Amino acid sequence: MKVTILGAGPGGYVAAIRAAQLGAEVIVVEESEVGGTCLNRGCIPTKALVASAEVLDKAKKAKDFGLELSGEVSANIQKIIERKNKIVGIQVKGIRGLFKSWGVRILDGRGVITGPGKISVTLKDGGAEEIETDKIIIATGSRPAQIPIFPFDGEKILSSTDALNLEEIPKRLLVIGAGVIGCEFAFIYKEFGSEVTMVEMMPKAVSTEDEEISAVLERELKKKKIKLLTNIKMEKIEVKEDSVQAFLSDGKTIEADKVLVSIGRAMNSENLGLESIGVKTGQRGEIIANSRMETNVDGVYAAGDVTGGIMLAHLASKEGVVAAENAVGGDSAVNYDVVPAAIFTSPEIGSVGLREKQAVEKGLKVRIGRFQFRALGKAHAMGEIAGIVKLIADEESDKLLGAHIIGPHASDLVHEAALAIEKGLTARDIAHMIHAHPTLAEGIMEAAEDVHDSAIHMPKK
Amino acid sequence: MDPENLKYHKEHTWVNISGNKATIGITGYAQESLGDIVYIDLPELETSTEANTELTEIESTKATASVISPVTGSVVEVNEELSDAPEILNEDPYGKGWIAVIEVEEGADTNDLMDASDYEKYLEEEVKLK
Repeated sequence: MKVTILGAGPGGYVAAIRAAQLGAEVIVVEESEVGGTCLNRGCIPTKALVASAEVLDKAKKAKDFGLELSGEVSANIQKIIERKNKIVGIQVKGIRGLFKSWGVRILDGRGVITGPGKISVTLKDGGAEEIETDKIIIATGSRPAQIPIFPFDGEKILSSTDALNLEEIPKRLLVIGAGVIGCEFAFIYKEFGSEVTMVEMMPKAVSTEDEEISAVLERELKKKKIKLLTNIKMEKIEVKEDSVQAFLSDGKTIEADKVLVSIGRAMNSENLGLESIGVKTGQRGEIIANSRMETNVDGVYAAGDVTGGIMLAHLASKEGVVAAENAVGGDSAVNYDVVPAAIFTSPEIGSVGLREKQAVEKGLKVRIGRFQFRALGKAHAMGEIAGIVKLIADEESDKLLGAHIIGPHASDLVHEAALAIEKGLTARDIAHMIHAHPTLAEGIMEAAEDVHDSAIHMPKK
Repeated sequence: MDPENLKYHKEHTWVNISGNKATIGITGYAQESLGDIVYIDLPELETSTEANTELTEIESTKATASVISPVTGSVVEVNEELSDAPEILNEDPYGKGWIAVIEVEEGADTNDLMDASDYEKYLEEEVKLK
């Protein structure tokens, strides 16, 4: 059984290894670098920058912790990028090592489908290779979407990829789009020393999150003196020699040194030869796949960002696994009900399951438990007291429907709730389990208690 | 501001009305219950606000609390000092800890506000005993 995979990002490389584990002969075609967006231009590099920003933030507050720091602490963007590149390099090597170990063949080049079971690859080093394959998995991912009237120029109008490779810290940074990516970069560059202004079309920042979480994040943006303008569209941008002038829909003008456009991502489904075999795509260019990751064409699967939907690396990986298992003759499907999300703003956000509004829209009766991080001794000891844990439980069954956390280590803490939702556990189940003290995880336990107004560390309501 | 001459809202904000301008802040009781205040989300100028609704939020090491507007109108001045030194709210809630000046909407009702002795009584009888 021969499986050829287009794309070696978190969807593709994971599918490749799974298919190899199941005994298939696997070829992966990658036009850029293994690890895809996640490893090279997304998840990992931004976390490296976030780590640098965190250390800088703590260093600036050293006095609060009783420490004497002499001299100034500042961000050296070249060294920060160097560190980031080193980390990415280690991971890339790791994936290529895994391919070798599992016998996956990697072709560095661009693959195009030319007919049923036929892929034509133009190799990076020159030359070409024609592949005949039994099954195809398309995992070509996505790229930063640009605003047509002011496209990326890598100089003044930046994509998230550009923002990960800057040679100097912009004095004034304008961020268009206050979603996950925009917000993460806003905190990073503010910490490095930029003056940051954000413009968002929707009424709230990170509008994909529960409203209470957005509200806390907006307050945290304000605390850091990051200006956020919501319900505003960008009408025009004028690129001058030394600056950029942005004209907003409310008549105001903003001047900046660099503009980061983070309005979403576009699917990489063009020029893949999809028409040659009739693979159906949707309105936004997304390849249409069902929960078994099958496209409308027999033997052709798709996984990850290129299928649209929630664009998260871990979902791409799960879809890759399912695609691979099905390609090799299995019978798997993806459960989209429990997909945790992690946002590396400051403080972090971790969420899973239904938002309160979604639960209400579905006609569900819910009980909500909330607990503030500032009520936890651990949070105070750490010096990170901002944030809340919000749990949503079904009123009748007490089963956990959603968990929304903003605060220190939220990205890790959310998984206790994710497991609870996956296994149909109740708020009482979480409240009954002993949580170690002093930890941030106790906040989950207390929020679970609060669902029934019995949190010990909250005053009587 | 002399606390004796101020008006009070049951949600523990004080008001000093002079002409159509109302200076507001939080009371001694409020800052004491909150504990060490670490942040106040100062309202934007020209924000319109309605009496009995949240004007802004305060964060202390213990809790987050709403600052309820005692009057209806529009924010014309804001105490920027509180931005970098929120502890002033604890240290001098009636003086340097003033939060904002609101231009009161014409015809707005300010009769629900208590005077100093009524507020004292309110604290003794209704709040502190709870």
